[in-house]
Amino acid sequence: MDLLERYLQAVGQYLPAKGKDDTLAELRANLLAEMENREEELGRSLNEAEVAAVLEHHGRPVMVAARYLPQHFLIGPGLFPLYWFTLLKSFPLLLLAYAVAQAANFIFGVGTSVGAAIGHLPYVAFIFWAVMTLGFAIFEYAQGKYFAELKWSKEWNPRDLPDVAQQKGPSFASRVADLIVSMLMILWLLSVPTHPYLVLGPGGSLRGLPFGLSPEWQIFYWQIIGLLALMLPLKIAALFRGATKWRRGLELATQAIGILILVVMVQARTYFAPSHPGEGMPNLANLASVNYSVNLGFKIALAVTVMKFLWDLWRTVVRTRAGQKGFVTVF
Amino acid sequence: MASTIQNDLFDSLRLELRRGCLILAVLAQLRAEHYGYTLRKALADEGLAIEESTLYPLLRRLETQGLLTSEWREEEKRNKRFYRLSAEGDAILAQLLAEWNGINESLHKILKNEKDKKER
Repeated sequence: MDLLERYLQAVGQYLPAKGKDDTLAELRANLLAEMENREEELGRSLNEAEVAAVLEHHGRPVMVAARYLPQHFLIGPGLFPLYWFTLLKSFPLLLLAYAVAQAANFIFGVGTSVGAAIGHLPYVAFIFWAVMTLGFAIFEYAQGKYFAELKWSKEWNPRDLPDVAQQKGPSFASRVADLIVSMLMILWLLSVPTHPYLVLGPGGSLRGLPFGLSPEWQIFYWQIIGLLALMLPLKIAALFRGATKWRRGLELATQAIGILILVVMVQARTYFAPSHPGEGMPNLANLASVNYSVNLGFKIALAVTVMKFLWDLWRTVVRTRAGQKGFVTVF
Repeated sequence: MASTIQNDLFDSLRLELRRGCLILAVLAQLRAEHYGYTLRKALADEGLAIEESTLYPLLRRLETQGLLTSEWREEEKRNKRFYRLSAEGDAILAQLLAEWNGINESLHKILKNEKDKKER
């Protein structure tokens, strides 16, 4: 019976002091009765292996003890739907607040790079999740103890429900218009080397202008043209792909290329340079400021576009699972 | 793989189905006094096997809810805790049995209608 006592001791380790002796005494009586019944069937005493088999069948001590304990929830089934709904609805707001905060940091020059801001996002999201979960767990613990338990009223008015949401994707006409704009943009960019006024304004065609496009244009110009050209077949394919799932994939791919274009533009840093560096330029500081502002604009656009891409990607995953349809691309 | 998932699903649904029925069976069986082990045997003899690790904590819970009463008593030179249905438990059992019979009847009707449709 040494094995039985060891078993009861192990179960007892997981039971609260209050009522422990009573529970173990009952468990002992039941297990002994079972063993005696088995002995009667066999007509002899049980050996150690047979006792061990009875205890093994009864279950691991920790699991047996757990069944005697009241059920505990970090967040119970009554509160969980509200917790989950709050997380889902507030997460996009967190993304928005984060994007605004990071954009403000860039504008006031206290921010780091876009990459660092995006890399920091999972940490912010984790802290947000942890705080929300802790808040709901505290509420779960306190309700019923310190204030009345939260219960949903059975009285509600179906007429208060919002109108059916229009969940259509972009229309065929808008996709065609988007394709035309993309083509015009490529033509516009292709025309820039021969018609610099398209970027610099009417003064760009004048000789002797103190500034012009920087030499870095030679590098990123063709990268942008290439990426924009890559978008065209995807947009054309999206026109004729009736299946929403395919169209969503193509639109996401297009958005991803749009992000790459902005990455190229952000990396460029110098967009305008003095036309005659050796001669000096009275407003060189202003030109540096213009370059900084343009770069900042591209950084903000990149941050917003990445956020939008992640948001659309997440919605696509959710809707694909739920079998729903529709979202709109921005690029 | 699919078979394993199906088995797991069946086990889970079976567990859910049995959970309420077992409470009903325990309450019904405890109209006569039993201690844990003999109750388990009595249920098993009626074709309703139940794990010890499920039954014994369940008895405690039902007692805490006021549906059972218990007392320690010596039997065959050993102290045992005997359970019996309380007055409150008896009233609840009557309500649950009415509910159970209603569900059972409805289910039989549904199954009978399905059977009739197939035979036509």
